[in-house]
Amino acid sequence: MARKVLRDETGKRIHPYVPELCEQLRKGDCGRREFLRTATLLGVTAPVAYAMAGNILGEDSQAVPRAKAETPKPGGTLRSSMRVQRMDDPATYDWEEMSNQTRHILEYLTRTGSDNVTRPYLLESWEASDDLTTWTLKTREGIKWSNGDDLGADDVVANFERWIDPQTGSSNVGLFGGLAETVGDGKSLREGAVEKVDEHTVILNLSSPELAIPENLYNYPTAIVHRRFDEEGGDLSKNPVGTGPYSLAEFQVGERCKLVRRDGYWGDAPYLDEILYIDHGDDPIASISALASGQVDHVHEVDIQSIDLVENIPNAMLHEAVTAQTGVARMRVTEKPFDDLRVRQAIVACMDHAQLLDIAYRGRGSVGENHHVSPIHPEYFRLPAVKPDIERARSLLAEAGYKDGLRVKIDLGAADSWHLAVMQGFKEQLAPAGITLDLNLMPGATYWEVWDKTPFGFTSWTHRPLGVMVLNLAYKTGVPWNESSYANPDFDAALADASGTLDVTERRAKMEKVQAILQEDAVIAQPLWRAVFSATTDKVKGYAIHPTNYHQFQTVWLDS
Amino acid sequence: MLIFIMRRAATMVLTMIVVSLLLFLALEINKDAVAIKVLGPYSTDEQRAIWLENNGYNDPLPVRYGRWLGNFVVGDFGESTRFKTEVSEILWPRLANTGILAAATFAVVIPLSLLLGVLAGMREGSRLDRSISVASIVTTSIPEFASAPLLAAIFVFYLGWLPGTSGMSDGFSVVQLILPVMVLVLYDFGYVARMTRASMADVMTTDYIRTAILKGLPYRTVITRHALRNALIAPFTVIMLQVNWLLSGVIVVEYFFAYKGFGALLLEASLNNDIYMIEACAMVAVFVAVATQTLADIGYTYLNPRIRFS
Repeated sequence: MARKVLRDETGKRIHPYVPELCEQLRKGDCGRREFLRTATLLGVTAPVAYAMAGNILGEDSQAVPRAKAETPKPGGTLRSSMRVQRMDDPATYDWEEMSNQTRHILEYLTRTGSDNVTRPYLLESWEASDDLTTWTLKTREGIKWSNGDDLGADDVVANFERWIDPQTGSSNVGLFGGLAETVGDGKSLREGAVEKVDEHTVILNLSSPELAIPENLYNYPTAIVHRRFDEEGGDLSKNPVGTGPYSLAEFQVGERCKLVRRDGYWGDAPYLDEILYIDHGDDPIASISALASGQVDHVHEVDIQSIDLVENIPNAMLHEAVTAQTGVARMRVTEKPFDDLRVRQAIVACMDHAQLLDIAYRGRGSVGENHHVSPIHPEYFRLPAVKPDIERARSLLAEAGYKDGLRVKIDLGAADSWHLAVMQGFKEQLAPAGITLDLNLMPGATYWEVWDKTPFGFTSWTHRPLGVMVLNLAYKTGVPWNESSYANPDFDAALADASGTLDVTERRAKMEKVQAILQEDAVIAQPLWRAVFSATTDKVKGYAIHPTNYHQFQTVWLDS
Repeated sequence: MLIFIMRRAATMVLTMIVVSLLLFLALEINKDAVAIKVLGPYSTDEQRAIWLENNGYNDPLPVRYGRWLGNFVVGDFGESTRFKTEVSEILWPRLANTGILAAATFAVVIPLSLLLGVLAGMREGSRLDRSISVASIVTTSIPEFASAPLLAAIFVFYLGWLPGTSGMSDGFSVVQLILPVMVLVLYDFGYVARMTRASMADVMTTDYIRTAILKGLPYRTVITRHALRNALIAPFTVIMLQVNWLLSGVIVVEYFFAYKGFGALLLEASLNNDIYMIEACAMVAVFVAVATQTLADIGYTYLNPRIRFS
């Protein structure tokens, strides 16, 4: 039986779950942030969602409260200290820095703000079917590529096709698994999964319900490239056609990347004339020296050891974001000795999370719980706290045949100093249980060559607005970034179930099982969730650090 | 003299061939690793096989080495996997930058250390000698990784007089050279000054200097005409060795000040396993090492007739 279709004052269809969501907010079953997130995901525009929340909670309904005292001044060059990396195929990016270089050249279908709320961007709107398996994406009309072509449904379809194509080698396959089918030992796009309806409308037909489609569309390797990207060379740095407000003026890996504002941008013109990324190498102090002597206006990332240094520079401002960024000591479940569940459980049982957070990250974050879902994720379910248990570790080891102790080696990269600090601490925590941990410190880039192959490695994972996003990327059977080779059908089923559940409380309840399976299978020892820091000089205005450290400089201006 | 130079040049070429062979065997013997490095970890086996075939990696090893060496001789080093462009486009500008840094350092170190060394060595044991010796020992014993942050703390963070990095992102800037040069001079001048001092002090005790003084020659003439030329042989060798050090040994300074030089390039290439870049950098470094050694040998024969044509 067809249900009555709800519509707002403008005649736009409202997803049938929205009234229920309002009721939950009223009763306090879901928080304000979760309400905003879900309502916008279901197609309610951000200002309307903010107004609804304001009405229900009796608060100020302003979308993003901003100090309006100062009038932005146009012009100037924002100089940012950040590693300048390769810029070939955006679908294969594996560093957020790469996406920042092109974030103002190419754009995304959606955009998640620093407030964790996702809004349409190149899309005018999206609409999910009641069962969350059919998503209708409508692109904005009047958007032109820098080469003069119109952006439309063909571009969207071409991007989905190349993300799923195994020849591209994109990690996006993990996020849009519902569009793919398994052929041989790889995945390819399912017939009819991405359907062009008219020049501006595309329908995604998923094989299973999925809630996070709009958020996945702002994951950093999903920048929309021109429909003829592959035909025209498949290298963005050589053929930088984009819809964004800036064009590429200069580019040299390891040195600099200069963007200049272009005419004919479809949206509001940004304030800055130019954005210049300067590469100061791997030494975190070099960037801060550059900030102190006025050579740059922005430092992309300030490591935990340098925050005091920034706080002591006159005219410098430290920006902090509470995030779901983390690092995991993950074990490859197909390799000895980690193929034995008892060994993995013994290793994980030795970890004292709170102590590691204090000594390695100065307490700036929160403790990890070995299941890769953060307390700031809306669907986080609070399991009983994990406590170190050396006795249990000993008996597990004895059962597994390592009565006289076990020696294991972990690979870790030297690029982030806290990785070493946290693993040195863990080494000491493992020792009483008879486990000797050898640390194999290697250059950051060398680690990224073995991160998904080494039996035991410490891998950093960036923030994502939903917990299920990382679980789908990294722990689902057979996805490209499944670095631990973990494969558990029960986990996959529970995750798919949770990923397709709209009701907040229901989804949270389903996450209990997902998190518990991952925790019990001891695939990762996850010490902490960390806050991240960036720095600017005080003449940089309108800047807010994004939890994923994505640069959104459209609203940034310089007060000279 | 010509035979001597030719013999030296032949040794130089032989050394470079041996090094190139080692380098080739170390980095290119596993062709699959090369393909993965060039095409990326997400490339398929099929793509790798095509690439290996197209680039002649399926030929016998001696053929590959011969072709590789031939390309090197004409300056075709291949494409950098890290920088995504021709190796030579990155290598030569970086080498020139390090050349600028080295020249600026030498321009300060050589006059300063020779002057101080000669002054100290002229009157061994004098108060001036002791002050210079102590100062040079102290500065030489502070490694660059300690003096660089110390000088940066003073001149960048505390006084705010000098720029903190030397990337020259807006074109060449003398001001940005000051800190790296200061660190290098501080470390290096003491060493050269002490070598000069020892050599000068030795010469000053020889019979012919005593004779020259006793026969009534002005002290200035004794120093400039008789002592200096002999005293400079040892420092000359030391200075030639500093060329090598300035080329690849200044990694710490280039890294700390984000100076885009050869040392930093070598580091970045190694950290990123950029095979063709490592090969090119290593060969350039070896060339400079053997070339400076050869120049030093030729220089000796000019300064010291006793070892001429030996």
